[in-house]
Amino acid sequence: MTVANPQQTFPGRIMEVTLPAGEGGRSVSVGGQTALPLLPEGERPNAAAIGIEIRTGDEDLPPSLSHAFGGKGTDPAVLAGNLVEESGAQFLFLSLAGCHPDLGGHAVSRGAGIVRDVLQAVPCPAIVGGCGEEETDALLFPAVAEAAQRPVFLSYADEKNYRLVAGAALAYGHGVVAWSPIDINMAKQANLLLGDIGVPPHRVLIDPLTGGLGYGLEYTYSIVERIRLAGLSGDAALARPILCHLGDSWKAREALDSAEESWGDVIARGRRWEEATAWACLAAGADLLVCRHPDNVRTLRGMVGAPWR
Amino acid sequence: MALTALEIYKLLPKTNCKECGFPTCLAFAMQIAAGKAGIDQCPPASDEARETLGAASAPPLPKVVVGTGERAVILGDEVVLYRHEKTFYHPTAFAISVSDALDGDAFRDRIRRIRSLSFERMGERLAVDMVAVRCDSGDPARFAAAAAAAKEGAGTPLLLSGPCDALAAALPSLGPDRPLLCPPVGEGDAGARLAAPLGLPLVVRAKGIDGLEKALAAARAAGVRDLVADPMPASLPDAVSLSVYLRRLAILHRAREVAVPTAFDLGNGFPSPFAAASLLVTKYGSLLVLDSDDPADIFPLLTLRQNIFTDPQKPIQVEAGIYPVGKATASSPVVITTNFSLTFFTVRSDIEASRVPAHLLIADCDGMSVLTAWAAGRFTGESIAKILSESGIAGAVSHRTLILPGMVARLSGKIEELSGWRVLVGPQESSALPSYLRRLPPAAFAPADA
Repeated sequence: MTVANPQQTFPGRIMEVTLPAGEGGRSVSVGGQTALPLLPEGERPNAAAIGIEIRTGDEDLPPSLSHAFGGKGTDPAVLAGNLVEESGAQFLFLSLAGCHPDLGGHAVSRGAGIVRDVLQAVPCPAIVGGCGEEETDALLFPAVAEAAQRPVFLSYADEKNYRLVAGAALAYGHGVVAWSPIDINMAKQANLLLGDIGVPPHRVLIDPLTGGLGYGLEYTYSIVERIRLAGLSGDAALARPILCHLGDSWKAREALDSAEESWGDVIARGRRWEEATAWACLAAGADLLVCRHPDNVRTLRGMVGAPWR
Repeated sequence: MALTALEIYKLLPKTNCKECGFPTCLAFAMQIAAGKAGIDQCPPASDEARETLGAASAPPLPKVVVGTGERAVILGDEVVLYRHEKTFYHPTAFAISVSDALDGDAFRDRIRRIRSLSFERMGERLAVDMVAVRCDSGDPARFAAAAAAAKEGAGTPLLLSGPCDALAAALPSLGPDRPLLCPPVGEGDAGARLAAPLGLPLVVRAKGIDGLEKALAAARAAGVRDLVADPMPASLPDAVSLSVYLRRLAILHRAREVAVPTAFDLGNGFPSPFAAASLLVTKYGSLLVLDSDDPADIFPLLTLRQNIFTDPQKPIQVEAGIYPVGKATASSPVVITTNFSLTFFTVRSDIEASRVPAHLLIADCDGMSVLTAWAAGRFTGESIAKILSESGIAGAVSHRTLILPGMVARLSGKIEELSGWRVLVGPQESSALPSYLRRLPPAAFAPADA
C-alpha cells in the first residue's frame, strides 16, 4: 500500500499473570502482550479473561439478574457452580458482601466457610472479594487466606490495608488485586508498595475502580488507557494486567428502573448496561472483566477469543 | 505530524519585521506551533512556507457536515487519538435504518419509534441523529417517496442508501437538505457524479484501507469534497482494527489520502451489532448505522457516547445553591450533596424517581464528589453548618432536618452541634434514595418549633 503502515510497536511488555485453578479446572493466564487491545499487531499470547461474580448476603437483585439467576439456586456454592458452568466463565469472583453489617452481618468464620465450600464446588480460578467494611475486612482477609485450600487472589488491597492483605496473601501463597481510585499515580504506587513488602509482580492485578456506564465510566476508560500506554511504553510498575469489575453498572437507575417504559424492557436494558460498560473497558485495555450477568459472560467470551488473540 | 516551533521558524523570513504583531520571527513561530497564530499573519512569507504551514495547521481529520440547520450532524474534525490527550469533539453519530419496502402504516410506525429514541440524562438530551433510508424495493419512485416521508416524519438529516437511480430520484426534493449519499460498491463513480455538482457529502465504500485509498482518490477526482469512508469490515475484529488504523493514519501519519470520517453499516445482518457499536463509539467510528430501534439497545449506546465524548479538560460542576425537585414546599425534605455535576445529576434524578418533592442543597466543593470532597476537607461539619445558615434554606423550609449522604455519616454529630439542625443519615448509594425518601415519615419534617 502507498499509505503508511498504521501498526504500532511498543518497547514494553505487560507482565503475564496466571490465576491458578483447582483440580479439574483450567487456569487462566492474562497479560504478556506488547500491543494495545483488539488489534492484529504485536505479540498477544492471551485473550482477555471473562469472569462471573457471585455475591453472598442479603441483596435485592436487579430485575435483569434475578431473571437470569432464577432456579439456579441460592446457596453460593450451588449458584456459583451452575453459573460458571452455564456461562463458561473463566474465573469466579466471590464477593463476601454478606459479611457487611448492612448486608447480612455474617460472622467472619461463616464467610471463610463459604469460600471453602465454593472452592470445593467450582474448580475454576477464583478471586475473593471482601465486604467493603474496613474493620470486618481486616479480620476477613486473613481468615479467607487461611480457609482457601488452593491459591486465589484477594480483592482488594488499597492504600490503607495493603500490609494486611498482602501479608495474608504471602503467608498462604495467594495473589493480590491492587485497588486505586481512578488515579494512575496511586495505581503505580500500590504496585510499588506491594513489591516492597515482597509480593511477586506476577501475583498482582490492577483494579483501577470501574465506574458504571453513565456514572463515571469515562474516567475509568481514560485511566485504563493511560495505565496501558504507560506499561507498554516501559513503566514496569504499570505493566500489569488490569481487572475491571463491572459491578457499578448494576447500580445505575437506568439498569434497574422498570417504571420508565420509554427506556425499553428492564431485563434487556440491565444486561445491555453491563455489556456496554464491558466493551468500553476492553477497548481501553482491560485484561480481566468481572460480569454479573451470565449471558454477558457468554457473549464476551465468544467474541474476545480466537480472532483477537 | 505537527511541526515544532523550530521547524516553523526555519520556514519564516527571519527578518523580525514585526508585521505579524510579534517581536521576533521565533516568537511568531512559537505562537503558530501552539495553534494561536496562522501563517496568514506574515505578509512576507514565501509560497513554500504558506503551503507547508497551511497544510500543517488544517485539522488532521477533515470535517463533514450532513444536513442543515440546528440538527445538522458534524462528522470527523478530531485532533487526538486518546481523549485524555485533549478531548474528542464530535460524538459518533447514530443513524437508524428504515426500509422503503415497508408499507404505509409500518413505515410511519418505524419512523415514530425512531423519533422516540430520545432520552434526558445529566442535563443533556440524548437522541438518534439521523435516519438511514434503505432502498430495498428497487423502485426509485418508491424510494424517493419514502425518503421524503422519513424527512417529514423524523426531522433529522438523512442517509440515503441505494442504487444511483434511486438516489437521483430522491435528490430533486431532498438535495437542499444536504443528505449523505451512500451508493453501493459498484456504483461509486456514478455516486460521485451525483454528489459533486450538488456539493453533497458521499460515503465511499470499499474493502479495506487499500481499497478505500483508490476509491477516495476517484471520488476526489470526480469533484466530491465531503467524503466519508466505509471500509466494509466482514467481522467485528475487522471493524475495530480498520477504524483504529484509519484514525491512526489520519492523526499520527497525516495520511491525507485516507483521512476522512468513517461510516459503518452495522445493520443488514452485521454480526453482533451492539458489541460493534459499543466498540466503535470508543474507537473512532464517526457514523454508525443500526437496524435496532429498541430503546434497551439504543439508550445504553447513547449513554456510552455521552461518557466518551465528555470533555476531560472541563471541571464539570454545577452552581452551589438550593434546587427544588418536584413541587417542593416548606415541609419537604432537604437533601445535601456536593457540586460535582455527576453527583448532582445522579442525586437529582434519584429524587425525581422517588416522586417525593424535596429541596436539593448543593455545596460548593470545587466539583468534587462526596467522598473526595470529604477527604479534601471541603465537605465538613463546619462547611455544611455554614451552608445551612447562609444558603437561605432555613427560610425555604419550616423544619430543621437535613438528609446527609450515607458515605459521610460521621459528620452528623458535628453538623448537629454547630447548626442546631437534626441530621438523618441517608443511603450510601444515591440509587437507594427513591426507596429511602418514600419510607421517610412526614413527621420528620414538621415545623421546627412544633
